[in-house]
Amino acid sequence: MAVIAGRAAALERAAPADEPVGTHSRTRAVVGHLALGTLGVLCAFPIYWLYATSLRAPQDIYSLAPLPWPLSAQSYVDAFRVLDVGGLLLNTTVMAVLIALGQLLTGLLAAYAFAAWEFRGKSLLYLAFVATWLVPFQVTMLPNYVLLSQLGVLNTIAGVVLPSLCTALGVILLRQHVQAFPTELLEAARLDGRGSWSTLWTVVVPNLRPALAALGILLFVNAWNEYFWPALVLQRSNAVLQLGLRSFMGTEGNDWGPMMATAGMACLPVLVLYLVLQRQIVNGFVRSGLK
Amino acid sequence: MFVELDAPAPVAVRAVPPPSRSARLRRAGRSLVPYLYLAPGLVLLGIWVYRPLVQTGQLSFFSWNLLPTTPMVPVGFENYERLFTLPEFGTSIWRTVVLVLGLLPFTVVVPVAVGLLARRVRGRAAVIYQALVFAPLLIAPVAGAAVWQWLLDPRSGAINQVLGTTTNWLQEPGPAQLAIIVITGWHVLGFAVLVVAAGLAGISDDYAGAAALDGATPGQVTRWITLPLLSPTLVFLVLMTVLLSAQWSFPLIDTLTNGGPAGATTNVYYLLWDYGFHSFDAGLGAAAGVIFFAGFGVIAAALVALSDRVTFHDN
Repeated sequence: MAVIAGRAAALERAAPADEPVGTHSRTRAVVGHLALGTLGVLCAFPIYWLYATSLRAPQDIYSLAPLPWPLSAQSYVDAFRVLDVGGLLLNTTVMAVLIALGQLLTGLLAAYAFAAWEFRGKSLLYLAFVATWLVPFQVTMLPNYVLLSQLGVLNTIAGVVLPSLCTALGVILLRQHVQAFPTELLEAARLDGRGSWSTLWTVVVPNLRPALAALGILLFVNAWNEYFWPALVLQRSNAVLQLGLRSFMGTEGNDWGPMMATAGMACLPVLVLYLVLQRQIVNGFVRSGLK
Repeated sequence: MFVELDAPAPVAVRAVPPPSRSARLRRAGRSLVPYLYLAPGLVLLGIWVYRPLVQTGQLSFFSWNLLPTTPMVPVGFENYERLFTLPEFGTSIWRTVVLVLGLLPFTVVVPVAVGLLARRVRGRAAVIYQALVFAPLLIAPVAGAAVWQWLLDPRSGAINQVLGTTTNWLQEPGPAQLAIIVITGWHVLGFAVLVVAAGLAGISDDYAGAAALDGATPGQVTRWITLPLLSPTLVFLVLMTVLLSAQWSFPLIDTLTNGGPAGATTNVYYLLWDYGFHSFDAGLGAAAGVIFFAGFGVIAAALVALSDRVTFHDN
């Protein structure tokens, strides 16, 4: 956060006063607006088209009119008839919340250990966490699939959640935050006679609440959009939105209206979160890299 | 929250700790504390990352069809030998290279060009543009695949109607690979744009100002000052693209083309999936996994080593 925050501050600090005033800088500003604006419209168009199609009346589906008019909720009605959208939403939410909370908890505990203690093998153990970031799912999927089937959790939400309870991402990001935490406070808590466990929950966590919330949202979005594990584990039940949506696809003569309606509903929770918390989500993603 | 929970070890400070056996035990217990906090994460990663990694290595020397009832037969290096004789192994690597090269414009060229052009765009407008450019990253890959399937539909899709073409984008080899590249690029572009913007914002304006005083043109400033200072960011983006392209495109391939038509969109990770869960050839899939993992590891190490030489840091 520090890096981006610093850069954001630099962005605001750079005063326009030291720029040459005149037509040249105005042209540059126009070009800049045009470049970014065009890119923005191009990027957002498919999303707009998704919702536009989902709101057209069934007989207007093939229309190219930019505005869906007259509006119709028929596609959503159809989607609800074909799929148990409520159940899928519930399953997906439960899955994403459990994964996000699990990663947050394991990440917090590990980050606390790395930040508050010096111990033997510290850098090696940190490397053991970070290195997992480089192991692609596809390389480990066969043995994991076999283990999940031995545990009897194939085709259950638990089967999706269990392998995802700890990631390098959570540990790396939280370590930065806990490390930035003033050591004097930890020391003071220790002198008060608090154990390390109670220090964690009464001193560290309350002070890290904004960072934890931002990371939690990032992890939730990642888990919500996760495709690979659910596709592997829930092969027969299609119990989450991503897979329910997939069941609409692939056949000739797609039913575009309900398909777009389902896709729209699969994205809506994340997009709403994004509208409300744009800055935190963007910062989280830019800092964390992409995986 | 203020309830004192059982701490793993007491930390009460005594004025003079008695040098007894219990104190020594307690000190040993205290040095255990950080390991206890690490344990949950380490155990989980051990079970779900390191154990399967080792097992994939073992599995690559066996022949097995994933059924618990059939025994695993040791076959030595046969899986590896078979792998190198299969033409699809080589072509999947080649297609991955094409995918990475095709994505570089989306992850490096366009973000840098737009970033340089739009350096002076700030305030509310910049926030809105950012929001638009970034939004595709938050769209679930399957939903993105769904809307692009609709846009690319040969008969009624918006793209063919606007272009006046009848291309069957997802069913013809060349267009299918192009479509996968463009859709993957659309998903990750916003991320790259923001990373470049953050990188540019971190470059002090003083250098450009000094160079301008010396009579440097804006083009010269970009070429000799801005881009070198941006090089760590660029290396990071190239590294991400090389290592993760095949993973980014995986959900799109699995939902849109299933690796087809005729294997035209099968990259290395899709080939692993295919071996494991379509042909149920666990040994072959594991052998391919080992090769790809090692290959990507070597490439990553080489890129990191190279980046230390070519990047320029503003100290």
